[in-house]
Amino acid sequence: ALQPVGTPKRNIQLSNIVEECSNGRRVSRLLELSPKKPQPTVPMEEPKTPKRSTRTSLGTAGSSATKSTPKSASKMKLIRDGTIKPTIHARSAPLGDEANELAIARERLHVSATPSSLPCREKEYEEIYNFLEGKIYDRVGGCMYISGVPGTGKTATTTAVIRALRHLAEEEHIPKFEFIDINGMRLTEPRQAYVHIHRQLTGKTLAWEQAYNLLNKRFTTKAPRRTTTVLLVDELDILCNKRQDVVYNLLNWPTLATAQLIVVTIANTMDLPERLLMGKISSRLGLTRLTFQPYNFRQLQEIVMARLVGMSSFNSDAVQLVARKVAAVSGDARRALDICRRATELADDQARKTDQPVTVSMTHVQQALTEMITSAKVRTIRSSSRMEQLFLQAVTAEVTRTGIEECNFLGVYSQLEALAAFSGVSVPNPGRAMGICARLTASRILICEGGRNDIYQKILLNISTDDVHFALQASKLL
Amino acid sequence: MDAFVKHIGTIYPCRDAIARKLYKYYRTGDPFPPALFIYGQSSTGKASIVREVLRSDESGFQCAHINAISCYTNKILFEAIARQLEGAKLTQANNYSYDRKLDYVKDFLAVLQQLPRSRSFVIVLEHAERLRDMAHNLLPLFLQLPEATGLNISVVLLSSLPFEKFYIKTGLPPIVKLFVPEYTRNEMLRIVMNDYPSHIERLTEHSNQKSRDWLSAVTREFHSNYVNLFLGTFWKVCRDAKELRLVAVECFLPYCEPIRDGTIPATDSMNLWRNITKTLKVALSTMYMRLGTRHNGTGTSVTAMTSTFLPQYIELPYYAKYLLIAAYLASNNATKEDKRLFVKNHGKQRKRMQAVNARAKVVEKMITKLGPKAFNIDRLLAIFYAILDEKVGLTCNLMAQISTLVHLKLLTYVSVDGGGGGMLDGSVTRLQCTVGLDFIMHVGRMVGFNVRQYLSDFF
Repeated sequence: ALQPVGTPKRNIQLSNIVEECSNGRRVSRLLELSPKKPQPTVPMEEPKTPKRSTRTSLGTAGSSATKSTPKSASKMKLIRDGTIKPTIHARSAPLGDEANELAIARERLHVSATPSSLPCREKEYEEIYNFLEGKIYDRVGGCMYISGVPGTGKTATTTAVIRALRHLAEEEHIPKFEFIDINGMRLTEPRQAYVHIHRQLTGKTLAWEQAYNLLNKRFTTKAPRRTTTVLLVDELDILCNKRQDVVYNLLNWPTLATAQLIVVTIANTMDLPERLLMGKISSRLGLTRLTFQPYNFRQLQEIVMARLVGMSSFNSDAVQLVARKVAAVSGDARRALDICRRATELADDQARKTDQPVTVSMTHVQQALTEMITSAKVRTIRSSSRMEQLFLQAVTAEVTRTGIEECNFLGVYSQLEALAAFSGVSVPNPGRAMGICARLTASRILICEGGRNDIYQKILLNISTDDVHFALQASKLL
Repeated sequence: MDAFVKHIGTIYPCRDAIARKLYKYYRTGDPFPPALFIYGQSSTGKASIVREVLRSDESGFQCAHINAISCYTNKILFEAIARQLEGAKLTQANNYSYDRKLDYVKDFLAVLQQLPRSRSFVIVLEHAERLRDMAHNLLPLFLQLPEATGLNISVVLLSSLPFEKFYIKTGLPPIVKLFVPEYTRNEMLRIVMNDYPSHIERLTEHSNQKSRDWLSAVTREFHSNYVNLFLGTFWKVCRDAKELRLVAVECFLPYCEPIRDGTIPATDSMNLWRNITKTLKVALSTMYMRLGTRHNGTGTSVTAMTSTFLPQYIELPYYAKYLLIAAYLASNNATKEDKRLFVKNHGKQRKRMQAVNARAKVVEKMITKLGPKAFNIDRLLAIFYAILDEKVGLTCNLMAQISTLVHLKLLTYVSVDGGGGGMLDGSVTRLQCTVGLDFIMHVGRMVGFNVRQYLSDFF
C-alpha cells in the first residue's frame, strides 16, 4: 500500500556532512591531517557499489524503492567510511585578479587572510608556544584555558602556534603529534564532539556512542608508540549541557597517563570555569589560563598597518581614526578590518567615477564609520512614515506623562489623538493605530504583545526616548 | 460578470457587492491576490458565498476548503490542503490515508511546488482565528504563499474577528481585507420572504386532506405581512439569518391556525396579531436553544422549563441537597457574618450606625450579584452541620457526596493544592458553588428550608 520515501535519518546525516564540509578549508585540513591511514586510491567520480549495499537498502523495503536508492546509499556508506571526501564545485576558471592597488589592499584586509605573524600578540604566542612545546617534549597531557572577547586573536594565535610546532615536528626538532580541532558552534549537539574527534583521527563517521567507546578505549589503554594528540576546543561554553558529561570527558582524558592528550580550550568569558562548570571539571581544567585583552588603538593601528605594508593606498591618519573609533567600542580587530575594507570600497567607487587613482582618506573612513556604527534604529525611525513617527512620539509622551516605562495602548492612543490634533492630521482609527504599532514592533523599535489583547496590550520602547527625540528632530512634526 | 452576480443573487440575496468583489478577484483570469481576509458577524454568508463563487466547475482552478478548528496539528492541516488541491480522494484504494507525510512547512511547500503551473489554486480557511494558536510560522506562510511557491495561489481567510487581532510580534505582510456587513432589516425581510414556498409546503403537510381550500387565503401578501410582524418582534434581539428563518417557520403554523379553523378571517390582521403574541413571546425566550418542535404552541411548559429547568430534572439525595445549600451559603455570605447567622448564642449585637449603613446596600453590591466566593471544606462542613437539625456522623458517604457534587459541576475547584494530598489535609483546596439563586431556592423548598433567611444580602 503506502511506502515511506527514503528513511529520514539517513537524509539528515547526509545533509549534515555535506554542509559541514562546504567550506573548503576544513576539508583540506582533514585530508592532510590523516596521512597515517592507508588511503586506497578510489576513483572519485564513480563510486563502485560494494556487494553489501543491498543489505543497507533492505530497510527501505519494497523492490521499487531499491531501484532508486543503491547509488545514494552506497555513496553514503563511502562517505561515512571516509573513502570519498566531500568536495564543492570548482569554478570553470579562476577569477581574473585586478592589478588595482585598492583591490589588493582589500584582499589583504580581509578577515580570513590571516597573516603569518600576528602583531601585538607576541607575549601570548610565546606563552602558548612554551606550554605546548613543553608538553609535547615531555610526552604528557595537559589543559589550557584561553579567554577573551571576540576579535582579539585567540584562535588565530593558537593555530599559528600549532602551525609552527608542526613545522618543527616535520623537521624532527620535536616529537610528532596529531592535531584535532572541534568547534562547539559547528556541532548540532555536544555529544557530536566525539563523532568529530573520531572522524579526524580515523576518517570514519560513527554514531556518537560508538565513537565515544572507541575514543575512550584509545585514551585509556596503553600503547607503546602513541604520539601526542593536541585537541583544540573552540567555543567551549556551547559544549556545556546540563550533565556536562562531554566537557568532563574531554578534560578527564588528559589527566590519564596513557592518553598523551593536550587540550586547549577557547571561550569568551574569563570566569567560565567557575561560573558554568562543575567543580570536578574546573579543577581538571587547571590553572593554566591565558586572557587575551582587547586591542588598544595603537595595537589596532599596528595590525592594520602590518597588513598594508608596502602599499601607499591608505592614509595613515585614516587608519588611526578607525583604530581609535573601534578601540573605544570593543577593541575588535575584525571590526577595524571590516571598516577599512568598506572604506576601500568607497574609495574604489570614487576612483571609478572620477577615473583617477584615489587613496583612502579621512572622508572615506568617516563615511564607512557612519555606515557601520550609526544605530540602525535611528535610521529606521527617520525613514518611517509620518504616522509611525507620530505614534512613536505618542509613546514617548505617554512614558513621560506616567513616568513608567511600560504603557498600554489606550494611553498611547489618547496621546496620539492629542498629537494628531496639534499637528493637524486626522487621527487613524484604533485598528489602524494597532497596525502601525504592529509594524513598529516588527522592526523592533517597540516591544509589545500580539494583537490579541488589543487595546490593553502593553507597549515598551525598545530604544531610549532621547534617541527618538534625536531621530525626530529633523522631522516637521516637532 | 453581471450574469454571474445575478446567479449568486438568486441563491444568496442581498450580497451583490461582495459577490462582485470576489468575482473581480478570482473570476477575471488575473493573478489572484496572495491572501484575502473576509470578516463579518456569524451567519452573514461569508463561507457560503465564497464557496459559491469558488465553485470549481468550468473555471480552471482547484479549491480547498478547510476548517481550521478541525486541524489540530500541522500535519492534518497540510495534508488536507494538499489532498484537496491535488484532487485526491480518500478511498478504500489508498487505505483512507494520504501517501506523503507532511509534518513541516518545508514538505508542504515541496508538495505545492509540484502542482501544475498552468492551473490556479485557492485555499479557503474557515475560522482562521485558530491559526493564531497553531505554529507561529503558519500565518505568515499563508499570507505569502505565491511568493514561496511561484504558483497562482491564493488563501482566503474567513473569520469573525477583525484583522487587528491577528498581528504578531514579527510582523505580517499586507493583506486584502473585505468586510461583510450584517443584513439590514429590509434585506432580512427579503430573505425571510423568500422562504414563502417552503412555509406553504409545511402548512399543507400539517393540514388534513379534506380542507385544503383555506390555503388559497395564504397569499404572498399575507405572508409578507406576517414576516413584517415577525421581524417587528424579533429584529431587536436577533439579526442572525439562520436563527430568524428557523423561528419564522416555527411560528407560521400557529399564526395560520385560526384561519384553518375559520375563527378569524385572513384579512383580520389585528386579531391574528393578538392571537399570535403569546407564541411569539415564548419563541423569543427560547431563541438559540433549538428545542425543535417539542414546544409547539403550548407556552406554559416552556416558560416553566426555562427558569426551573434544572432543579426539576436533577434529583439529589437528602444530604447532598443540604450540602449544596451549605455550599451556596458559604459562597454567597461573607465569612464575618457566619457567626451571626449560624451560631445559636452569638452574643448581643449592638446596632451601630455604620453597620446599618453597610447593610443598606445597592443591588450592584450584593454578594449574590457579584458572583460566588471561594470557601474551604471546613467552612462548608461547619455550615452544613449548623443548618441541618439532626446530627449525622461525618462518614465517608458524606465526603463522597461532596466530590460527586464537584463531578456534577454543581461545585468547582478554585484552587487545588499542588501536593496532591487530597481535600482534607489543609485549607489549600478551595471550592466554589456554581448554581444560581433560583436553583437553590427550589432545592430549599423541596427540603423545607428557607434559604433567603440565611443570606446576609436579604436582611
